[in-house]
This record gives sequence, C-alpha cells and structure tokens, in this order.
Amino acid sequence: MSVATDTGYTPPKRGSFLDALAPGGKRAFFLLSVLGVLLIFAFPVFWLVLTSMRPAWGVYYVHRGLEFTLGNYLEVLEQEVVVHAFFNSFVIATLSTFFSLTVTVTSGYMLSRFTGKLANAWFGTIYIFRTIPYITWVLPLYFVTQWWGIFDTYLGLLLPHIAVHICFFSWLMKGFFDGIDPSMESAALIDGCTRWGAFLRVALPSALPGIAALSILCWLWTWNEFLFALILTSHNTPMITVVMAQFVSELGTEWNLMSATAVMAMVPALIVAIFGQKYVVRGLKV
Amino acid sequence: MAEVKLTQVNKRYGNIHAVHDVDLTVADEEFVVLVGPSGCGKSTTLRMVAGLEEISGGTIDIGGRVVNDLPPRDRDIAMVFQNYALYQHMTVYDNLAFGLRNRKVPEADIRKEIDRAASILGIQPLMARKPKQLSGGQQQRVALGRCIVRNPAVFLFDEPLSNLDAKLRAQMRIELKELRTRVATTSIYVTHDQVEAMTLGDRIVVMKDGLVQQIGTPLELYRTPANRFVGSFLGSPAMNFVDVTVVQKNGGLVLSDFGADIVLPDAMAAALAGHVGKNVVIGLRPEHILMGEGSSEGTIRLDGSIVLTEQLGAQQLVELRVGERTVMAAGVDPDLRLQGGDAGRFSIALDRVHVFAAGDSGPVLWSAGKGQVTAPLRHVS
Ligand SMILES: Nc1ncnc2c1ncn2[C@@H]1O[C@H](COP(=O)(O)OP(=O)(O)OP(=O)(O)O)[C@@H](O)[C@H]1O
Ligand SMILES: [Mg+2]
Repeated sequence: MSVATDTGYTPPKRGSFLDALAPGGKRAFFLLSVLGVLLIFAFPVFWLVLTSMRPAWGVYYVHRGLEFTLGNYLEVLEQEVVVHAFFNSFVIATLSTFFSLTVTVTSGYMLSRFTGKLANAWFGTIYIFRTIPYITWVLPLYFVTQWWGIFDTYLGLLLPHIAVHICFFSWLMKGFFDGIDPSMESAALIDGCTRWGAFLRVALPSALPGIAALSILCWLWTWNEFLFALILTSHNTPMITVVMAQFVSELGTEWNLMSATAVMAMVPALIVAIFGQKYVVRGLKV
Repeated sequence: MAEVKLTQVNKRYGNIHAVHDVDLTVADEEFVVLVGPSGCGKSTTLRMVAGLEEISGGTIDIGGRVVNDLPPRDRDIAMVFQNYALYQHMTVYDNLAFGLRNRKVPEADIRKEIDRAASILGIQPLMARKPKQLSGGQQQRVALGRCIVRNPAVFLFDEPLSNLDAKLRAQMRIELKELRTRVATTSIYVTHDQVEAMTLGDRIVVMKDGLVQQIGTPLELYRTPANRFVGSFLGSPAMNFVDVTVVQKNGGLVLSDFGADIVLPDAMAAALAGHVGKNVVIGLRPEHILMGEGSSEGTIRLDGSIVLTEQLGAQQLVELRVGERTVMAAGVDPDLRLQGGDAGRFSIALDRVHVFAAGDSGPVLWSAGKGQVTAPLRHVS
C-alpha cells in the first residue's frame, strides 16, 4: 500500500491555542500548569507532614512557631490497635492482590480470546456488577458476612475485595491480552503445546508487565480502601484507614496523631508506587 | 514427507460461508500457493489444515491420515505467520528449540538441528537476541528456522512476506525459492500477491469468496484463465477487459463496437455461436497488444490514439484510446518516441485473445490457442 503514501497530500495541521503563544510564552504556560498541579497535589501532603510533627497545641497554628517533635509518631505506635491495623492492612492488601490477580488473569484472558455462551455469560455478569456503584455493594455484603459468620474476619474482608477486583480488573487484563498477538499462541499450539500450555508458557509471560502493573494498582487500591474496611470490620480486624479516622472523637480531633498515622500509612504505598512506577508505566502502555 | 488432501472442505462462521467445498490435493514435496483477494478464505483454509480452526464440513487428510479431529500439535505441521509470531519473551535460540523441547528431543540433538537450520538461513549471530531486537527480515528468517528445525511433514505459510518492504520481499522470495531446493517439504503458501504466487508455486489455487476458481500451474493459469476473475488477478499490468456484443453479420459472427468490427475466424465463431446478441468480454493481455500492423493472418487491427505513456526503461506502457474504451499496452520499445494525442495503429493476434461471458467472474468462452474451454466452472452468483 505504498501508493497511498506517495500522494503528496499532507493533512492540514490542526492549530492548538498554544500555537498562538510565542515559544517563550508556551514554555512559561507549561511551567505554570505544572506548578499549579504540583501545588494542588503536593501541598496537602506537605501540610500533613508538617502537622504530624507539631505538638498537639500547635496543630491549628502549624505555620507558626518552630517547635517540631517526633513524639506523635511514638505515641501512635504505642497504641496496639495502630500496629495491628498496619499488619492487617498489609495482609489483606497482599492476599487480595494475589488471589484476585490469579482469577483476573484467567478471566481477562478468556474475555480476550474466547467467544461462546460461557464467555458471554461471564462477560455479562461482570459487566452488570461493574455498572453497580461501588457503595451499593456494601450493605448487602454486610448482611451476607454477618449471615455467613465471617463478619470482622480476614475472610469477610478478602472475599468482597476479590469480587470487586475481579469485576474491575478483568477488563484491564482483557486489554493487555488484546495487545498480545494471538498467532503467538497458535504457533505454540503447533509447536506442541496444549491450549493451557499456550496460555501459561506463551501468553502469560508476554503479559507479565501488564500483570505487574495491575498487581501494584490492586495492592494500592486495597491498602487505601476505606468503605469496605469501615463497614465490614470491627475491633477484631482493624484496618489502617479506619483506625486513622478514629482519631476523630467527641472530645475533638487529634489532628497531630491522625497526621502521624496518615504519614506512616503513606510510606508503604509510596514505596510500592515508586518501586512499581516503571512497571505501571510500561505495563499500561502494552 | 506427506500428501495433503482436502475433500469438500467447508467453513462456516454463523451465516458467513467462508470456505466453500474446497477440493485440493497437494502432492508430496509439492509447493502449492493459495492466492486471492482479501477475505476470500485463504487463511481460513490454511488454518483448518493446521488445526487452528474447526472444519465445518469435509475431510482433511495429511499423509494418509484424516486429521479433522487432531489438535495442531499432533498433525506434524509447521507454520509461518504473517506477523512472524515469535515468542517475544524468549531468545532466538529458545524460540527455535521450543518445539523440539516440547517433543522431549535431547538437548544435544536440538543444538545440532538448530545449527543446521541457522546455517541454512544465516542467523547464527542472532541466537542470543530477543525478537524485539531483530529487523523484520531477520524475524522472518527465525520464523522459518522454527519450522525447519522441526522437520515437519508439511509447511504452512500465511502471507509470510507481506510485512516486509518491497525490496526485502523480493529478496526473501528468492531465498524461499532457494530454501525449497535444500529443504523439500510439502508446502501450502497463502498470499494475495500474484507475483509471489507466480514465482513460488508449482501450482496455484485461485480463490474468491470462499470458492476455488481455478487450480493449475502458473503458466496454465496465465495462459488459460478459467474465468474473468482469474484473468484479472494474475499478470501485471493487469489484463484489459473490453465489453463487446456478438453480432451476426454477412453470414459470420463479429464482435462489435471495439474499433472496427472484429470478424471471428470459424473456430472462435463456433465457440461463441450460442451468444449471438449477447454481451461478452474480450480479455487482452497488455503485452499482446503490439504497435503497428502485425502479421496479416488472424490479427485484429485497431486505430486509436495514445492517451499517455509510462517509460519503465526496459519497456514502455502505453495507454490507448479506441473509440470510447481505453486499453493498456505493455512491452512497447522504450526507444519509440510516443506522445499523448498521437494517432496510432495497433494489432492483436487473434489467437492471444480470451473471451469471457459477461460478469465479474464470467467463465471463459474462448481462450488463447486452446479453443473452447469445456471444464465446468462454478462461479459466484
Ligand atoms: N473468526 C471469524 N469469525 C467470523 N468470520 C470470520 C472469522 N475469521 C474469518 N472470517 C471471515 O471469513 C472470511 C475469510 O477470511 P480469511 O481470513 O480466510 O480471509 P483471507 O483470504 O485470509 O484474507 P486476507 O488476505 O485479508 O488475510 C472473511 O469474510 C472473514 O470475514
Ligand atoms: Mg489471511
């Protein structure tokens, strides 16, 4: 089809409003937007860190005075529930990532490669659940977990998380597999693989960047999740996002302690995000 | 080493009848090319032979064994795909070894096989690379290598050269030809490129809309196309088609309305006797339209004017206007100075002319030098 490229026709360039600015103006505009965005996102974090290091009497005047302390962190860590909550959040995030990815990968693959009654039914099911707003899941789940006697246990939180992940992430996974050439699997079938072999040995390794990206997103999502944690757990399995909110009491809000907890809760997320950024960027590009 | 036999093979996707009653026997070590326009069912046919698509009807037999219900891995075939389909996460060496390892071939033998294939294809230096680090031509060689090491009974190719640029494609075409002399294996090759079909195939199968139009050697198809579609598909520049009417005149038959009446010799008149008053189509290969008078016996002479010329160095292509029709002539002496608007006289030897029934796939009524073609031909309604 080289003929088509030789027509000498170049489509007219679409003018953007930035073209109206001088080159220098364009640069300044860009810098200003970046600064603006940074301010919106980074400033609250900065303020949070500042608050977490102020004594209790100083939180409303964070910008005044220079007395800083790490006492808040120590005080928070002395509370058993906080440590417990960190541990629980870590376990739930990790386990639910592992289990939902296992299901999501196979289900995404199925959505991408197969048509037929079973695939369509599965597609329809997760489509319907996907369109239901997240918040409406919570109340029924509360009753179900009570009824099954798994309320306020790991299982009672894991299963709902996994269900939601499957519905939300199967689509992303399908996208990754859509980007992988199916003739590679055909070649594997001819080269002596079974259908499962072609999936496990050829399609799956090619999807690894995408799977890595999804694991990271999935882990962060669960770590930061609040609604399920609030409704589906109580004293036995406290989660960090809920514990954090409990610094709000009738006697007022202990902003300094809450901030210290929040900063600590950010750290694992930050580590995962920084470590995984490479994979997320590469994986989502597939 | 095997014969491949397709008997009444059909493929339906819901309402789409993609492949229609295909009968084809590929002899041992024969190289057969399936050619046809996009969507005609070539790939589907090939994939049914490979076992990648289920067969809706008919039987496929490889080496004397009906393979309809065998999975691809048990059919003893190897396939090259349009986009190479190399395993992206493996090195070239592992790509080549993959099939053999699946068959539990000892590692030392694998190495020997790979060395042999790599030296045939000249890919020894690439063994440690990943497919992403290879050029298109190199990837294609690796894909070929993956087939060769397996020593299969049948090679299947699905447009293996169509992702390469024109120059590389021509080069790989020659390499494929050379490869055939070293590795003689029954092969089915799918392409939509008529040059590949003509140059590579022992025999060519022309398909359209899921139907086989004609099977034959390249020259048979070129010289005696079974219908207008086959005539138009093979040959470059393409065959000229001129609509004319068969008319009774002075006790004989003439084809009217292409320049002067074309008076038909007896044999041709007999072949067209049933079409008096009907429209038929003359097929003229550009290289058979000659400048000047031509020999006196059995020649059509046309007076027309030159519309434009295309100088190709070795020859000129000349577009001619005769009455209201234009036809393309090829093989004109490149030193001849011709200009748009010049008047000219052209001649066509009558024994080079094809006559087809009207319609896009009208069957041939008269073909160059062969007299009436009687083979029953199904054409698409
Ligand atoms: N999975 C499928 N589902 C439905 N229809 C299909 C499917 N695969 C192919 N077809 C149809 O079958 C017909 C033949 O397709 P096929 O891929 O064999 O064409 P082809 O001759 O290889 O064309 P191309 O040169 O474009 O590769 C087409 O009309 C196509 O739309
Ligand atoms: Mg095809």
